Formats: sequence, C-alpha cells, structure tokens
Amino acid sequence: MSTVVSAPAPRMQPQAGEVQPQIEKLPPRRSRVWEKLRRRPSALFGAVLVGTFVILAIAAPILPIPPPAQGDWGAIRVAPSLDHPLGTDQNGRDLLSRMIWGAQASLLAGVVSVVIAVLAGVPLGVIAGWRGGWTDATISRITEALLAVPFLILAIAFAAFLGPSLTNAMIAIGLSATPIFIRLARGQTLAVKTEDYVESARAAGVGQMSILWRYILPNIAPPIIVQATLTVATAIIAEASLSFLGLGQQPPAPSWGAMLNTAKNFMEQAPWMAMWPGAAIFLVVLGFNLFGDGLRDALDPRES
Amino acid sequence: MSDNAPLLAVEDLSIMIGRQAENLVDGVSFSVMPGETLCIVGESGCGKSVTALALMGLLQTPPVHITSGSVRFDGHDLLGLSVDDWSDLRGDRMAMIFQEPMTALNPAFTIGDQIAESVMRHRRIGAEAARARALEMLERVGIPAARTRLDAYPHQLSGGMRQRAMIAMALANDPTLLIADEPTTALDVTIQAQVLQLIRDLQRESGTALILITHDLGVVAEVADKVAVMYAGRIVETAPVEALFNDPQHPYTIGLIGSLPGLEAGQRGSRLATIPGLVPAPESMPAGCRFADRCPFATATCAEAPPLREIASGHAVACHYAPLEEHCAPEQAA
Repeated sequence: MSTVVSAPAPRMQPQAGEVQPQIEKLPPRRSRVWEKLRRRPSALFGAVLVGTFVILAIAAPILPIPPPAQGDWGAIRVAPSLDHPLGTDQNGRDLLSRMIWGAQASLLAGVVSVVIAVLAGVPLGVIAGWRGGWTDATISRITEALLAVPFLILAIAFAAFLGPSLTNAMIAIGLSATPIFIRLARGQTLAVKTEDYVESARAAGVGQMSILWRYILPNIAPPIIVQATLTVATAIIAEASLSFLGLGQQPPAPSWGAMLNTAKNFMEQAPWMAMWPGAAIFLVVLGFNLFGDGLRDALDPRES
Repeated sequence: MSDNAPLLAVEDLSIMIGRQAENLVDGVSFSVMPGETLCIVGESGCGKSVTALALMGLLQTPPVHITSGSVRFDGHDLLGLSVDDWSDLRGDRMAMIFQEPMTALNPAFTIGDQIAESVMRHRRIGAEAARARALEMLERVGIPAARTRLDAYPHQLSGGMRQRAMIAMALANDPTLLIADEPTTALDVTIQAQVLQLIRDLQRESGTALILITHDLGVVAEVADKVAVMYAGRIVETAPVEALFNDPQHPYTIGLIGSLPGLEAGQRGSRLATIPGLVPAPESMPAGCRFADRCPFATATCAEAPPLREIASGHAVACHYAPLEEHCAPEQAA
C-alpha cells in the first residue's frame, strides 16, 4: 500500500448477521487442463509413447538385461532371437539392452537441452520485447547472429569448444536452440504487450513484474510450448549427430544416435541394427509432437 | 481538503508526440468535483483519449510525453509522483474503463481471478476475501449467475457482460474517480443504454466522480453534469450540461449539436447538418484558432489563438466572437 493514499473510501462491508455468500469452488486450473488433455486421444497416445520410453530409461538398471557394453564375440550381428530379442550389434552387444540404456541418453539430451534453451531464451526474449530500445536491439542482434549459423553447425561448435561429453552436448544443443526461443518470446511479447488487457492491468495498478508474470507469460506460453516439443525432437536428432561425430555420448555408452550411425555400415548384413534406434527416435519424436499439440489445446482457455 | 476543492484539477496540460511541432493536446484545463460527472466530447483524434491516459499515467513514453501543465488529484501532484506511487493510486483511488471490452480482459485468467487480483493489489486481504469481493462486485454490476461467472474466462462472456465485468473490476476498490473511455462505443445500442445506466447507478451509490469520454452527444445529455468539448487537442468550450445544449457558444459545439438527428416533425426526413472540412492533421495544425478553417464565422482575427474565456458562470469558450449574440450580426451568423 502506498503512503499517498489518503482517507479510505467507504467500503462495502457485509452487514452483521447477513449470511456470507458461500463460494462454490471449481476444481483448480491445473486439473482442468488435465481433464481436457485426457479427452484428447492423440495427446494421450503421445503421452503414453513418451511415458513408456521414460519408464524404460529410468528402469534400465533393474531390468533383467545384460550390461549395454558387454560384448559377446560368439554372437556378432545376430538377428532377433529368444536370447537377443532385438538382435546384437557388430561387437555382439545385446541391442535391447543398448536401446534401453540409449533411451536415457537420448531423452535426457532432448529434454535437458530444451529446458536450457527455454530457461535462457524465454526470459531474454520477454525482456527484449518488453523493454524495447537498446535492450531489444542488443539481444536481437546477438540472436540474429546466432540464427545466421545453421543449428547443427552451432551445436558442433559449442560442443567442440566445451569438450566431448553427453553433458556438454546437452549444453551445446541447448545454447544452439536458445535463439529460436528468444525470437519467439520476443515476437509474442511484442504482440501481447500492446493488448488492451495489459493496458487495463496497468490501469488497475498491477506492477510490472506481475504484468510480466501473469499477463505476458501465460499468453505467450502456448506457442512456446509447441515450439519446445518440436525442439525436443530436433534435439534428440542433434544429440544423435553429435554422438556420431564423437562429441556426444562417448563409447561404449550407448545412445540411439550413435547406434544408428554405427548401424549404417551394416545396413545389408544387419538391418535390425538400424531399425530399432530409427523406430525409437521416430516414436519418441511423434510422441512429443502429439503430446505438445494436445497440451497447447488444453492450455488454451478458449478451447473447451 | 476543503469541501469545494476539486477532486481533480488539470491545469494547462500539453502533450506532445515525438518531435512534432504542435502539441497533440494543447493547454487543456478542467476540473472535476467529488461525485461530479464530466463528459469530454470530441471526434476521433481530438486528444480526448490521450488526455485520459495522461491522467492515469499510462502514456506510452516515449514517444508521447507531457510537455507542460499540472494534474492535481485529491491533493497529490500526479505528474510529480514516482512510478510506484502512481501505480498505487491506479486501480485504487482512480480507475479506468476501456472502450473495447472484448480485449481488455486477460484471456488466460477467469474474471473472478482478475477482479480479485485488482483487489489484492490494493487491499491487505486474503484470496478468499478478495474472491468474495469479486463475487459481490459481479452481483452489483448485474451479471446473472455471478457465482458461476466468477470462474468464467473472458471469451465465455458476451461483450456487454465483459463490459460489466470491467466495470466491476474498476469499481472493486471504491475509487473516488472513474475514467471511462468510450465505455459503450463497442456495444450494441440496447446494451449501451443498460451499461450507461449501470455506470450512473453505481456512481450515484458510491459517490464516485466520473470522467466520461465520448463522441456521442446523446450520452452526454443523459449523464453529464459538466461538459468539455475538445477540438484538435484543445478545449473549445466547457459548460454545465444545460448551458451547453441550450446555449452553445463555440461554432464547433453549435455544429456538433446541429449535426444530431432530431425527432421533431419538421426535422424528420430532412438532411442532417454537417461541419464542412476535416480535422487538421497533427503535422499541419493551423497556428491560430484550430477550428478557423472550418468555421463559418472565421475572420482575420482567428489567425490568433483565442483563449478560453468565461462568458457566464462555469461556461467558458475559446472563441474571439463569444458570446456570439454580441459579436455577430444576424445576417452574418446565417
């Protein structure tokens, strides 16, 4: 409360003895979003796809599968069989085990790098769009410079600079994806900040931080969520590429990308080696996209 | 504060956009007493909305900035307030209703949330109490089934309902001054009358002063105590509402009133009077009287800007020839 406010205006007080209105409560917003999400089969399917891989990845250490790096020289490039449900690779390693352990690397790389990109990009974009002027000019010029470099080249450059490891690959992919989010958040902020409801919020005395938090962010969120799910897919593929170049997951630890890139040398002798990681990437990317679309619809209050 | 001190006193307010030579709003002065209704009338682009935004401290600076003048509200020099202090006043002691109810509510939150937010921003009360207040306000503005509407999102309400919700939000903290910028323009005619009536009723109940910005003289005649007519950034005439309609003095005011369709037998079917010409563009403002180009009475004297002179109690006119009766021979006026 400010010190400038003088005598209090007459307030509407409920009369003594008057029954206070009983306010019925609707379920909170979060569960309403969940309700809407549940009614969308495609979103549910996407969630199940992603969820399955996530559970497999988390459960990898307790599943009855051989260690992913344990080779068997007596079983090189064995086709799918009872012993090796998905077959083995050129070193005789069990592909089912490598697929499950590889899911850890791929999913982590996809999600963590996008989280990095969103956490770095959205605040910068919102500040640029909200403040305008030289703040915007500085942030935008750097963003444009980064966007001028192809995504993968940028990621390779960052990864090479940071040194080869899965963690550094995630950071590199995250940083490379940041400009997209800066641009998107800035553009959305520019559009939303001229909306009448932002002005009417200011007319109601709502502070700058609350406006950014409650008026700008929720209204720019849907396109950012969609972009994030799409970028998870891109990031999974980017991690595969970095791993292939030796800048991501380090052998013998498995990742889908690395497996796929090895498999391409044995396409004719052992096509299953390429099939599984390819199918897994496809399914996870599909899952994220379906889930993202559903989430966007569910988050939009205009959709019932 | 003595009893007859104005709640809001605007002195010589000038507003400029960018580096243009002429002021967008030029030397505007007016005052509002507690509980009084002032209508600011004028056509699009005459600076009435900009003036309202300036009073609320909502000008987009840059490029729009206040070049001179003072605004005193309830003992505070508004233009000298810090950003935070001004924002403490907004929504609390002074509130604003906007023209476009379809877009003036945050689509991401329910209207109950938004009203409660504005209450919690200015009052030390908890979420439950703020929600109760929101419900009470929705009921006061006549929203049917207010209890369920509390959890409605703006898009689930019609335009009239949204404008009612806006009014509920604006009045939730019992402001002493309400600024309404064309609050009924975007609504259907039948809804317009209801919303106008609602604003008047609530104003009467709570003793709030009202500045109503409009281009609709019908609205003015209905609600105003006092009227300020703006033309091209200046106030050309200000008067109590009866005086303005019975004895308009500025040629522009006369033209405005003359352009209203009448219901009397002789007027029906006849063409409406119009004011020839267009409002001068901001970059080509005439130096003297800004209405001179379109004025049937203009003479060489009008190359000099006329000051706003009081010709009767509370009735001031910015015209060299006011009062017209004394200055113009009948044949000239015809």
